[in-house]
Amino acid sequence: MRSLLSTAMAWFLMVIKMWVKRVKTPFFDRSGRDRTSPHYVVRSAKLCALCIVATLCCASGAFFVPNTALIPLLLINAALLGHGRYLGGRVRGLLLLFAIQLLITSMLYLLLHGVERLHEGGLAVTRIMLAIIPGWWLSIVCTPQRIGEVLSWCLPRKWAFVMAASFSLLPYMAKETREIYQMQVMRGANITAKALCYPKHWPELIYCVLYPLLIQLLKLSKQMALAAKLRGFGSHKRPTHWPD
Amino acid sequence: MSDKGFSLHDALFIGFCATLLVALKGMLRLKLGITGHSMFLICFFYLICYGAVGKAGAISACGMLAGLLAMMLSVGKGGPFILLKFALPAIAMDLCLLILPTLLGLKWRFIMLALVATLAWASKGLIEDLLVGMSIAVALVQFAKSALFGSLFAVFAATLVPPVLQRLRSHDLLDNTELK
Amino acid sequence: MCLLELKAISFGYQAAIGELFDELSLQLRQGECHLIHGSTGSGKSTLLKLLVGVLSRPFSGERVCQQPCSIGVVMQDPNVQLLRQTVGAEVAFALENSGVPSNKMIDLVAHALRQAGLYVALNTPIANLSLGQRYRLMIAAQLVSSPQILLLDEPWAQLDNQGVDELTELLFELQRRGMAIVIVEHHRGAFSQCVTHRWMLSGGKLISYQPCDEPVISVCQLPGLNRRRDLSLLAPVVVSKALTLQFNDNKLLFHSSGLNLYPGEVVALIGDNGSGKSTLLKALAGIQSDIGALDLNVLGVRPKLGRYGASLALLHQRPSRQLFESTVIEEMQFSLKRYGLPIERGIGMLTKLGLSTLANLSPHTLSYGQQHLVALASLACLQPKLLLLDDPFAGLDSRYVDVVVDLINELSQQGCAILLSNHRVQPQLAVDHYWCIAQQTLRCYRAESLAGEVALKHCDGMVSDGYQDVG
Repeated sequence: MRSLLSTAMAWFLMVIKMWVKRVKTPFFDRSGRDRTSPHYVVRSAKLCALCIVATLCCASGAFFVPNTALIPLLLINAALLGHGRYLGGRVRGLLLLFAIQLLITSMLYLLLHGVERLHEGGLAVTRIMLAIIPGWWLSIVCTPQRIGEVLSWCLPRKWAFVMAASFSLLPYMAKETREIYQMQVMRGANITAKALCYPKHWPELIYCVLYPLLIQLLKLSKQMALAAKLRGFGSHKRPTHWPD
Repeated sequence: MSDKGFSLHDALFIGFCATLLVALKGMLRLKLGITGHSMFLICFFYLICYGAVGKAGAISACGMLAGLLAMMLSVGKGGPFILLKFALPAIAMDLCLLILPTLLGLKWRFIMLALVATLAWASKGLIEDLLVGMSIAVALVQFAKSALFGSLFAVFAATLVPPVLQRLRSHDLLDNTELK
Repeated sequence: MCLLELKAISFGYQAAIGELFDELSLQLRQGECHLIHGSTGSGKSTLLKLLVGVLSRPFSGERVCQQPCSIGVVMQDPNVQLLRQTVGAEVAFALENSGVPSNKMIDLVAHALRQAGLYVALNTPIANLSLGQRYRLMIAAQLVSSPQILLLDEPWAQLDNQGVDELTELLFELQRRGMAIVIVEHHRGAFSQCVTHRWMLSGGKLISYQPCDEPVISVCQLPGLNRRRDLSLLAPVVVSKALTLQFNDNKLLFHSSGLNLYPGEVVALIGDNGSGKSTLLKALAGIQSDIGALDLNVLGVRPKLGRYGASLALLHQRPSRQLFESTVIEEMQFSLKRYGLPIERGIGMLTKLGLSTLANLSPHTLSYGQQHLVALASLACLQPKLLLLDDPFAGLDSRYVDVVVDLINELSQQGCAILLSNHRVQPQLAVDHYWCIAQQTLRCYRAESLAGEVALKHCDGMVSDGYQDVG
């Protein structure tokens, strides 16, 4: 139990650490420009909606099409993979995922069913990959902003606003987390990477970093709600939209 | 997703929690390792949302938003089905809250919720595995593994939430008095 | 014509603490500009809420508003009020909410931006704007719904002098067009060109006062500025032969031909918003990772997070963020315990700052100024060798500024080297050197030579123009 908890916290801490260190290039900034990848090719929201529907169809297909129809689906996914790769997407993660899934599943099949049913496992893992590749491709061709815009069509205005506001505050939140972490390390909190090897220091991370961060989020949500209300948010039954 | 009863302030807080959850999860993008680690973050933020907002549906709202944001940011390894990964445990928690006796202390209530969420999350994995044609035995082993590891992470998160909420309340930072 | 009137308002948050407003009255007419001054905790922000009509708790008295009356509000931190990602969408937010058809928006938005003096393309990302431009954007976002009254919450502390000048010009123009303006501010001398009424919020009432006519003191006449001491015999705590602060994406902040900071020395780092003050402080503490390698030695080693223990402390902006303990005294003792220092220093420091009555309160229930002081005190009681303070006077009224100044002086006498950043010269504080950043160059000046021609040319306009009535 203790070792499991250790691993759990180690993961969590690693996340925080990675975030804290991640000053170089936030994966998107408030301007909506992606600094790292110039490959987004879908500009219009309608085309993006089409891409999302296509992605959903392809990914669902991976679960539902019979084995006989798998070849066309494989070809489509190969094309998506090729297109994504051509646009600068990285396939290493996908390959790694495939390898690990294949390893685990094959071992289970070997253990439970023997060699003769091994191919079933391979097929299942392939289907899992076919469900993942369309999503990976979507993230390469459409900006998060465009996807968000399309998704907000299906949301009530309040929640669409909340989603957009949360999204645009991501870099701010990242900065707050980093700074609070740094403040507490400098104040002597035992939350440096080295100290966190000892489980007894873990609750300190929750209290020193996550707790002040939650306080900031509570205050921020209050201020933003007031700012939006002062500018008439929710006062009109049929609000209009800024023509982008 | 109903927006009845949530003030804009509540809705924004729910949104920010969802964002923080997805962003932290995003840092683990395609990094594999221990099954169920995401249940730690999921449970922690969902329960914080429930505790801080104190209204039925807060967890589902957080789950849906987290799912949508994850879809936007292409976080995790589920493709468009990532929405279900975040939303299902949240809906399960909210449904459970409808029938869970309020007599139960906050800590035990949270632990129960965490277990229910893990069950929903692991079940989603089980259905997926069966759909892609895994044998029942293999799928069940995977399910058992997810449920076991996931619940450990989830319960650990659930035990951390009450003291955090207690502190927030004692410092007058929470308005609701429903949860004590 | 009277646009808004407050008649004998009485209000208190908790009966036990007493009334915040005691029969407070105010009349607001077209073309007037009211400056409401008050110390921290006197109820300035609550008064703003009352004026807007969003005070959530009941009050006695009357708020009479001419119908239809629209009010625009710009709150303290522009960053938390910006709700959209591009300039056009941000300004159009109010239009969207009042159901203005999309095809009419562009003209209205462009007009509001022109009025606010912000000449940028409508699709400019907000992230690319400077703080001064963001402030203008916030004003444009209010002007778009043609308010008759504009309320501003403490703009002076947010903006550098150039920003303040620009804002004053803009307010003057708006006032000329008949808008009523209310500025809530704890700096009395600010916006003197456009202010028509000055009020002091004190004892729950608004008391009229006249602007201070005292002559402006020149920098070299400031008390205690000339701290002639020979520190060069001591080993410096910060050494750099040549420093170029540049982000990894090649954006240059500034060059410097060399920096030295000695024990006991107080140095003020002065520069406009965005000139690289915070980045330098963070680089000295070893926590700024997106900059190129620096030729920098702090306390004998290269800066790195977690390397210095109690010997180096950094007070970030908005330091109340670091508070997490249940009581003030626990907050003070947190670092002392971690570094194995005597925990009595905590209560000693609180007593010295006159905060001992707060020891057992939750730090989150304190006022802004008190939280700021507690955060600073929790670092000061470590008695570090180097103390870095990022904008330590931001948002503090003169009473708390004096407390911080005294604390800095005392630490300096104990041999602590102090580097503090500010976008204006703080006249009450005696410093040894000024490090001024302008035109991407950091230059060091002895305090007494800042008044000299060269320095003034370089740091033009950096000296606070309102210090004659502070302290």
